[in-house]
Amino acid sequence: MDHSKQTEFTLTDKKDSGDATLVINGHFDGVVKRPPAALQGPAAESGSHRSAQSVTESWKEEHTRSVEDNEVSLPSLAEAYTTILRGLGEDPHRQGLAKTPWRAATAMQFFTKGYQETIIDVLNDAIFDEDHDEMVIVKDIDVFSMCEHHLVPIIGRVHIGYLPNKRVLGLSKLARIVEIYSRRLQVQERLTKQIAVAITEALHPTGVGVIIEATHMCMVMRGVQKMNSKTITSTMLGVFREDPKTRDEFLTLLSCQPAMYNDWQNKVFQSMAEDCVKSGSTHHTS
Amino acid sequence: MNGHCNGNGSDVATDDFHYNNGFSEVSVKKAVVVPASVHRKEEEEEVQGRLPVLQAAYSSILRELGEDVDRQGLLRTPLRAAKAMQFFTRGYHQTVEGVLNDAIFDEDHNEMVIVKGIDMFSLCEHHLVPFFGKVHIGYIPNKKVVGLSKLARIVEIFSRRLQVQERLTKQIAMGLSNALQPKGVAVVIEASHMCMVMRGVQKMNSRTVTSSMLGIYLEDPKTREEFLSLTQH
Repeated sequence: MDHSKQTEFTLTDKKDSGDATLVINGHFDGVVKRPPAALQGPAAESGSHRSAQSVTESWKEEHTRSVEDNEVSLPSLAEAYTTILRGLGEDPHRQGLAKTPWRAATAMQFFTKGYQETIIDVLNDAIFDEDHDEMVIVKDIDVFSMCEHHLVPIIGRVHIGYLPNKRVLGLSKLARIVEIYSRRLQVQERLTKQIAVAITEALHPTGVGVIIEATHMCMVMRGVQKMNSKTITSTMLGVFREDPKTRDEFLTLLSCQPAMYNDWQNKVFQSMAEDCVKSGSTHHTS
Repeated sequence: MNGHCNGNGSDVATDDFHYNNGFSEVSVKKAVVVPASVHRKEEEEEVQGRLPVLQAAYSSILRELGEDVDRQGLLRTPLRAAKAMQFFTRGYHQTVEGVLNDAIFDEDHNEMVIVKGIDMFSLCEHHLVPFFGKVHIGYIPNKKVVGLSKLARIVEIFSRRLQVQERLTKQIAMGLSNALQPKGVAVVIEASHMCMVMRGVQKMNSRTVTSSMLGIYLEDPKTREEFLSLTQH
């Protein structure tokens, strides 16, 4: 149960396929424990076989939890919540609170379900060889995490961009990677980095950029109580870090406003309503 | 637990509401005997005394979730989380009388007074997860007006508890009407429930709207309409 112990690593990941070298420098918090030597062998091979093998060797993450663990720890979690209710001066037996310890315990297990999952499970082999080397961005991914200092929600959005190196990832898998790391007790800086490093290790792209903008309830609901404050963190790896033009392109594409699904829906309904009015009938006209 | 607890809802105010069509003839009862400052100090000491129990409970929660309680980021988390939770439920230790601070003024004003967009943060009593939103309060004074920030303070008292949005709305309305005896009180709350957004059905954009109309707001649709149109924009 020590996957979350903070360990300082300096990672280097060199690809020798002749393309731009991807170097990750800096300290990493050790959720992904990976001795640098593990990648030297697989790096020499090519093809999707290499990715699978290096993925397996890279992520020697220990599961700290399983579904069975959840069931086993539920009663003690519920008991802890009952103690909390009593400690706050409430009556745990009143109707509204009678099943609250169990609901709160289950909810908290849900908010930390990232500990049960690993990247390998979630990627599901959705890595495809594609002759595409232009930027891919998935933005406005809603993210919910828990502040590890106050156990209070962090709510925000993640924007991910990467430059593939002949391998692309299923788009929803980016959101699933976000889910794994966000559904934990987190610190926003660490969350940003973990997402970026996970994508890097899965795909070995030319570069990855991850930006998170979030509202921390611990700052909004208590403490300084600043309602409108937002915290923005970013991690730029590979060519996103080295080349300012690439970074610029990423940031510019993030700030443009394409049509929102809700806007589109509203326009469709509005035009349908106008058609009804014009035809003078109450049923839809084609 | 004192009568301001969310207990069983059968307190005097609710009875008054049903039997006297919303308004009690009896004026606001003031706290007797114990000076407020002493009372507050005792409450604070009691709250401090409960901290170790809460801390132990949070340590146990962290352990059961599979985390490492000794890592740097989590070392003082039980204490911080316990204090945060006490802050989120400090409304239990506050009363409307205590907070109004005699800020009730005789004023010959009988037009609608609205304070809208009051940020509200509360805890869902079913999942212990926050819900937050905005409160709009309107009242028509009956020769007595209240300091405007006191409306926000009344919201704070009742929202900083384990709550259900329906009950919260009613308590704010009843608290204000008991304190002021105005001609009418209207409270509308629009909130987002994290228990629906972060888990369960996971509907990001859903909002829950509840309202409580007392006195002339209940009887006269035009007054109600005026309040609603002034708060929607």
